[in-house]
Amino acid sequence: MARIAGSGWMNLVLRFAAIFLLVTAVLVGLWSFIAPGYSAAVAGLARPLVHLMEAPNASVLEARGAEIWIYRIVGPAEIAPFTWFDRYTFFAVIPLLALLVATPGLGWWRRLARLGIAIGALLLIHVGYLVASVELSYAALGLTPVGPFLARTLDLWQVAVRVLWEAAPVAIWILLTLGTWRRVLRGSRGERRRESLSTEAIGVND
Amino acid sequence: MVDSRKRCLKSLPYRRVWLPVLGAACMAALLIWIAGDEPVMGAVQRGLARVTSGTLNLLGHRTVVAGSTVSSGLFGITVVTACTGLFTTGLFLIAVIAYPTGWKPKLIGAGLGLAGVFLLNVVRLVSLYYIGVHLPGFLDAAHQLIWQSVLIVFAVALWLLWAGRWAHAPRRV
Repeated sequence: MARIAGSGWMNLVLRFAAIFLLVTAVLVGLWSFIAPGYSAAVAGLARPLVHLMEAPNASVLEARGAEIWIYRIVGPAEIAPFTWFDRYTFFAVIPLLALLVATPGLGWWRRLARLGIAIGALLLIHVGYLVASVELSYAALGLTPVGPFLARTLDLWQVAVRVLWEAAPVAIWILLTLGTWRRVLRGSRGERRRESLSTEAIGVND
Repeated sequence: MVDSRKRCLKSLPYRRVWLPVLGAACMAALLIWIAGDEPVMGAVQRGLARVTSGTLNLLGHRTVVAGSTVSSGLFGITVVTACTGLFTTGLFLIAVIAYPTGWKPKLIGAGLGLAGVFLLNVVRLVSLYYIGVHLPGFLDAAHQLIWQSVLIVFAVALWLLWAGRWAHAPRRV
């Protein structure tokens, strides 16, 4: 069916994976410094959104180091811990940065611009994930009244939010580098075709 | 007028673009359904726990399986939905289905993804058991940061390899 491609593509993929792993190793080492700031940004952006969604206001969000704690208002000036998001909840920052740094065929400026856009997009997705998780948990526990459709499909929404959280770094990376990969893939195909024609011309395949 | 409309509809790249997109959307819906179905997920978790325990026992450990928990006198791990590799496999399959290529390369891609992610996931669970026994302080970082990233790059690299080698190989003239 298909002819196996030359080693050029394989080398490119291996190089991509190697750079990814190297960047991941560095970022894992730095995670304890990155995570508190990132969690504070997520909590800061999620706070007004949660207040917007709740009437009357039922939640208090607090970034505690790299963790985000959600408290529920249970009485006048009284709150009780409801749930928390641990320091690894927003780990997707690491693979997303590593994927972008490892992508071949991007110049420095383009790479930097994409890194900025990617982190911004991931931050917004994480804010949405946090808000949706909390509000869906309230609905699942019967703390927030919901309509019959949402009540029937609550499990599916929770799984969908989880899938989005899981897929976010790869989805953002694909959207930002699709054109680059197309060019790289096309270049590799052209190279292979030229190799194939030249080997046929000198009679290697005979 | 009608002829030109028919011609226009025929020229739409529905086979190359819309069918793969529809297939990918169906795969995403299937993924969400499977992840939300407790009997199916329970069976997957128990199966994976048995394979992990079997591998550890082959390596000289004495582990037992209770439900989806693998344990020995030293350490125990519970296989939950996120540990099954379901999301990584599902996303890999969505990417394979969405890629505009023939059915044969797509089947090769699906086989590669299912087998590859499953095998790496078993390696991951076995390694987490070892880390839990020998370096328990490192377990959280290995579980949440390192292995999640390794699974992602493995799936992406496998997909790129498939796209370059099987899905996009030049035809012989």
